[in-house]
Amino acid sequence: MSSAPATSDLVSLTIDGVPLQVRKGTLLVEATKMVKQEIPVYCYHTKLGPAGLCRVCLVEVEGTPKLQIGCNTPVAEGMVVRTRGENVEKGRAMVLELLLVNHPLDCPICDKGGECDLQDYAIAYGRGSSDLADPKTSKPKAVDLGPTIVLDEERCVVCQRCVRFDDLIVGERQLVLKDRGHRNMIATATGDPYRHNFTGNVTELCPVGALTSKTYRFKSRPWDLRRTETSCTQCSVGCRMNIDLRHGNVLRTMSVEGDDAVSDWWLCDRGRYNIGYIDSPERIKQPLLRRDGTFVQIGWDDAFALWAKAIRSAIDAGGPERVAAIGGGRLTNEEAYLLARTMRSLGVKNLDWRAGRQRQATPGSSGGTLLDLERAGAIVTIGESPAELAPVMDLRVRKAVRHGARLIRVAAQEAPPSMPFQDVADVAAAAAAIPANVTRVALIWDGVDNALAHAAFAALSREGRTLLTYIAGEQGNARGAEAMGMLPFAGPGYHVADAGHDFDGICDAALSGKIETLAIFGANPVLNSADGAHVRAALQAIPFLVVTELFMTETAKLASLVLPAAGAFEKSGSMVNLAGDVLPTSAALAPPDGVLGDFEIVVGLARALEIELPDSDEIERATIAAAAALPVGIAFGDERFAGAAKKDLSGEGLRLHVLHHAFAGGGTLAHDERIAALQPEPTAAFAAADADRLGIRAGDRIDLVGAGGTIGDLLAERRDTLAPGNVAFVGLRSGSAANEIAVGSRVRVENIRHSDVPVEA
Amino acid sequence: MRKQLFNVGAILQGLGITFKYMFAKRPTIEYPSIKKQHAPRFHGLHELRRYADGKERCIGCELCSSACPANAITVIGAENSPDARVSPGERRAASYEIDELRCIFCGLCEEACPTDAIVLTPRFEMADYRRGAFVYSKDRLLVPTDAGVGTPPDERPNGIPADLGRVAEVKSTTNVDRGYSATHRGEVLKTERKGLAG
Ligand code: SF4
Ligand code: SF4
Ligand code: SF4
Ligand code: SF4
Ligand code: FES
Repeated sequence: MSSAPATSDLVSLTIDGVPLQVRKGTLLVEATKMVKQEIPVYCYHTKLGPAGLCRVCLVEVEGTPKLQIGCNTPVAEGMVVRTRGENVEKGRAMVLELLLVNHPLDCPICDKGGECDLQDYAIAYGRGSSDLADPKTSKPKAVDLGPTIVLDEERCVVCQRCVRFDDLIVGERQLVLKDRGHRNMIATATGDPYRHNFTGNVTELCPVGALTSKTYRFKSRPWDLRRTETSCTQCSVGCRMNIDLRHGNVLRTMSVEGDDAVSDWWLCDRGRYNIGYIDSPERIKQPLLRRDGTFVQIGWDDAFALWAKAIRSAIDAGGPERVAAIGGGRLTNEEAYLLARTMRSLGVKNLDWRAGRQRQATPGSSGGTLLDLERAGAIVTIGESPAELAPVMDLRVRKAVRHGARLIRVAAQEAPPSMPFQDVADVAAAAAAIPANVTRVALIWDGVDNALAHAAFAALSREGRTLLTYIAGEQGNARGAEAMGMLPFAGPGYHVADAGHDFDGICDAALSGKIETLAIFGANPVLNSADGAHVRAALQAIPFLVVTELFMTETAKLASLVLPAAGAFEKSGSMVNLAGDVLPTSAALAPPDGVLGDFEIVVGLARALEIELPDSDEIERATIAAAAALPVGIAFGDERFAGAAKKDLSGEGLRLHVLHHAFAGGGTLAHDERIAALQPEPTAAFAAADADRLGIRAGDRIDLVGAGGTIGDLLAERRDTLAPGNVAFVGLRSGSAANEIAVGSRVRVENIRHSDVPVEA
Repeated sequence: MRKQLFNVGAILQGLGITFKYMFAKRPTIEYPSIKKQHAPRFHGLHELRRYADGKERCIGCELCSSACPANAITVIGAENSPDARVSPGERRAASYEIDELRCIFCGLCEEACPTDAIVLTPRFEMADYRRGAFVYSKDRLLVPTDAGVGTPPDERPNGIPADLGRVAEVKSTTNVDRGYSATHRGEVLKTERKGLAG
């Protein structure tokens, strides 16, 4: 970790009779933890800092007449502190008595009961009775704060952690404290529903049961839960996460306190709340074989035998070029490694993880850590910003901006962020916008346009400047898949291998009848690629398409053989996140009967093909070595990763951009009805000039018509930061025509229906 | 010889005792036609109480299940809908089960309950033929709707019932013969089995 501080930076003091030395400026509450003592806190939080509101942290400092608050008193040389003793206990008991004056006796029904700081401190430091005999005030209970959170005003102890989180960490400033005195209430400033990508964190911050998650309300009590620590695999950040189970059901997920390196103690709502799919009745539970146009259930042995036969006959007929495999970002490192190894041992080179729009996941040797990111002096984003693609990473960006970093967005399509930013048209302008004295610059890319990334890297590199690169793309373990050799031109550890087709090449080969069998593991290219219609046609041209999936996705519906696969919480392994951290994932529960993990599926296939498999020790060693391999020789925006030249997308009309949203898409989101309310309303944003020209007002309903179809009934929005000639669509879901109209192609606006009440942009 | 005579004496002594008890009052009773009076605080089968207005007293808090030393109780809570409240306040027991085979009839659940909802009655006739039949869920534990006692606290969930502690002292709010006697259930099962066998 950091080097030992110079002695002049250290302060000696005594806490509860134990002498210690700590860094100057340390707060007493943190110093006390070092001597294994506790100062109770409500408003203080390690990640939010002190606020001095609740006064429960009183301690005695020798030489000061009154008790001091431990959360906001820095250490001083020679200080003698007592966290116990008669005075402290009297003071704390008084604070608790006052806090309980209006607190309801709700514990038996309160979701926090059993893990509530008010309960715990009242028992540890409270008096047990009260002299105040007046009736308690009553305030609204079960207030619907937004799609995720319910608020009980009576239980609030006005520590303002939630308000400060919204302000300091997220920068949204939606929550405020209304009214004064005993009428204090938490509410959103505008009265609108409380809604952003991080709302769930307030339920963990709230020291009492005032803020609770709708998905967890009254389902359980804390002592019933069995906890598994794992990593979230919903996006490429890989936040450390606790999964709480009761009776074999995942009831909630919680952040991991102390995870400074990855999640910074937070989770986004996507990772936190998208758990309802696990026990969805729509999950596939048995291998399905297409026979005469319909799917029939078959056994696993038959499935493996059929699949192996298809691969064998394809190789016999036309060589391994006729076989291909896609291993998406849903796979763990071990699964990706085994898949790549099995395929390569057959001579198959048509391997890729890329089945969406992202082209590259490994930023090369300039890749930075997440901790580096928050210390950057300037942050440049090219392509889509990480706000929706890697939400918790975006909190680091916000932290950096709060500490004075400049945020520069290049040709941004998405809505302006909630913090100061600067939009520029191209990378040259971005380079010019970075103040000369900034020595540490972070460059964040969505992994789509390699040429742009390459240009940005060149433009931003300067003598005497550290340029840190990040790729925040759309797939969870994409970097792991690359390291494990799921690339057409590289094997495990990025070692160069004989090149095969990438996904685009596989599609083209399929359309000319050169692919006999393709296996798609954990990817839904029909919905997520840039040109869904093209991919659909290509997949339909493949005689034997195998898809491993949890649900009947758009891609699975085209398959000849659909194999039910385990979800993220049902398998153990490891992943590599966007910053290159190798993170373990642990199975919290077993997959449903009849469902296998992707690892077992590859093993089954290899057995049926009579391929000798390495033993588990060897797999472990190989994956660790591959995951730890330095990405030498990989450039940021490497041209080997680049896709084939796009087909000509020029023409009349507006250029269509399909933007990501944490809650838009298919797969696990589409099959989780508990969070249906979080899906974005399908929206199309227009540049002000285009909107005026077309006569579109904010709040109107419109249709977008392109060559591939119509995206109907969109909410129109004006976005002043958008360059004219573009339309930005958000709200992709299963069945939407947006994936049939190729991303980047031209669309026109039709059927404008003006809203009665124009909404201000 | 002498020793043997001595033994005859012992036999006579034993027979004497037997004779004495032949004329003493018999302690055995003709169960089930005659039933014994229990000690006032006898702990038997549980019941789940209601308020006089028919609402369930149980709020699904799981305190009983965490107090239970035998891990016999499983409660799963749920949210009350405001327009059709099952119990006063926000929380209710969606499912409430006691495994009477695990239960050691200690009464700690009754002690723990903040609303006097779970009470051990003097009923003890639970004999049955299947282990599964000893898992009592709400359908057998809840008293009939018209057998509730006490006024519910106001709709605010922090309201503590005014009669807390007194309701549990009443060992059963229902007539023992009413509704859901375990013995009756045993009879039904016996008949079912006979039916099946025949
Ligand atoms: S709602 Fe919770 S976190 Fe927010 S001020 Fe009240 S007690 Fe604190
Ligand atoms: S930011 Fe990504 S990894 Fe973290 S909780 Fe959200 S979805 Fe999961
Ligand atoms: S009486 Fe004792 S053992 Fe039986 S359910 Fe209640 S607490 Fe558990
Ligand atoms: S019976 Fe009592 S203790 Fe048990 S869940 Fe119901 S209210 Fe809580
Ligand atoms: S924790 Fe110190 S005042 Fe609240």
